Amino acid sequence: MKAFHTFCVVLLVFGSVSEAKFDDFEDEEDIVEYDDNDFAEFEDVMEDSVTESPQRVIITEDDEDETTVELEGQDENQEGDFEDADTQEGDTESEPYDDEEFEGYEDKPDTSSSKNKDPITIVDVPAHLQNSWESYYLEILMVTGLLAYIMNYIIGKNKNSRLAQAWFNTHRELLESNFTLVGDDGTNKEATSTGKLNQENEHIYNLWCSGRVCCEGMLIQLRFLKRQDLLNVLARMMRPVSDQVQIKVTMNDEDMDTYVFAVGTRKALVRLQKEMQDLSEFCSDKPKSGAKYGLPDSLAILSEMGEVTDGMMDTKMVHFLTHYADKIESVHFSDQFSGPKIMQEEGQPLKLPDTKRTLLFTFNVPGSGNTYPKDMEALLPLMNMVIYSIDKAKKFRLNREGKQKADKNRARVEENFLKLTHVQRQEAAQSRREEKKRAEKERIMNEEDPEKQRRLEAALRREQKKLEKKQMKMKQIKVKAM
Amino acid sequence: MSTNNMSDPRRPNKVLRYKPPPSECNPALDDPTPDYMNLLGMIFSMCGLMLKLKWCAWVAVYCSFISFANSRSSEDTKQMMSSFILTPLSCLRLSISAVVMSYLQNPQPMTPPW
Repeated sequence: MKAFHTFCVVLLVFGSVSEAKFDDFEDEEDIVEYDDNDFAEFEDVMEDSVTESPQRVIITEDDEDETTVELEGQDENQEGDFEDADTQEGDTESEPYDDEEFEGYEDKPDTSSSKNKDPITIVDVPAHLQNSWESYYLEILMVTGLLAYIMNYIIGKNKNSRLAQAWFNTHRELLESNFTLVGDDGTNKEATSTGKLNQENEHIYNLWCSGRVCCEGMLIQLRFLKRQDLLNVLARMMRPVSDQVQIKVTMNDEDMDTYVFAVGTRKALVRLQKEMQDLSEFCSDKPKSGAKYGLPDSLAILSEMGEVTDGMMDTKMVHFLTHYADKIESVHFSDQFSGPKIMQEEGQPLKLPDTKRTLLFTFNVPGSGNTYPKDMEALLPLMNMVIYSIDKAKKFRLNREGKQKADKNRARVEENFLKLTHVQRQEAAQSRREEKKRAEKERIMNEEDPEKQRRLEAALRREQKKLEKKQMKMKQIKVKAM
Repeated sequence: MSTNNMSDPRRPNKVLRYKPPPSECNPALDDPTPDYMNLLGMIFSMCGLMLKLKWCAWVAVYCSFISFANSRSSEDTKQMMSSFILTPLSCLRLSISAVVMSYLQNPQPMTPPW
């Protein structure tokens, strides 16, 4: 049996040489049982099958114990060699074997010939039945993505925190020498310096300083990039953005004169002019170049009056601005600062928004995104500029002409505002009056008691007459005034 | 004192306490990313649960992570200013439960939506 098995293996190896063995088989005379007719069929089948697809596989079972895989084109050859092997062993054994083998064999080629055209399809095992991790590749991808996001969150958060700490360490001395209270989050009962930044966010840090001449307090906001958000990091690769330091100094009313003034990059000023309430009302011209005062081309000036610009642009200020022009985004001094324009809803009369005398500074941290803690030292001179500006704002006073112009401007703005809201207020009052009238009339209609009805009607008519008289008077006054 | 001409600018008697800026308009002015992402996360997780789409649930998890990373205040317990939909971890919990439920119901690997 073992020899038989090895023979099959050897035959498979020599599978391609079929024609020669064919001839051998035909010449043999030992086998008398086979008819030429049978073989003729075989031959046709063999030739066809050899030319078409020599790789078709048939699994035939010769014995119970063994299964051999035979190439179709080789059946005859194997059989022939079987014959050789079997005849060697003994006729009695080979004959029944041959018969059995032959019987099944005849049918198979017939059936297989009919099935020539049906290729055997190997069905794929469905993915969920496979016990391999590979089929879950999308899930693995997702989890990897999430892990990457979490890693970036931790790294970004730490970097922002380190940058903030570095900034604070650099500036701590200067701040502590200028302000009594450095660092306050408003929750302590006593006003003691916490000496720490308030972390508002993973990328925004606040610091409140107070207790100095001239100013009520100074709020410093470190607005870092969102390094903790992977999407943001990827977006920044397309478009580099800088970290920013925003400083807002609230001045005492008596320590600052009335003017509105801004210096900064042209783009920043255009944006501020659109957004900020006071800049849009008081500085209506486009940003002008500061070359007259020796400023670099990158900076422009927005001012209420020429006098203010002249007063502000002293040598030291110009020195600051030229040396650190790349780090300055905008500098905005205003006594009418009320924040950005609020979009009002229709028909909602507002009082003028509260204004505060403020100095605002926006600085860009060098590095445009790729900042290191040591870059924070470069911002220290800018803080010096802030301190200098505070003192300067206290010292700078408009002369008489300037003051008059400033007062006129403010009066004009207020008047405009009142006019706008006056129309709205009138409309509101009118609608209210109409509502009241309608309500009254309905009440009268609903009253069943005729006496009451008459009384109410009389009262209504009296009131109407009064109103009309008033209106007539107002109209007369208006006509006279005109 | 030799530093008389450079007098100390500090005035301890003029200390003002820090007042957090009024919060009515601030959330609207700041970027709306966390709100949008929260909403998207909720929608996707609902889709994933109802329609049994695994990729929806995964996108919801991503959205909730992004919303969490961009959230405005570090401690939501301190500031109740933001709308109460932006509850800190509710979106995250919902999206993770969407993913888990999708896989419990149907342990086959995910088929991409294209």
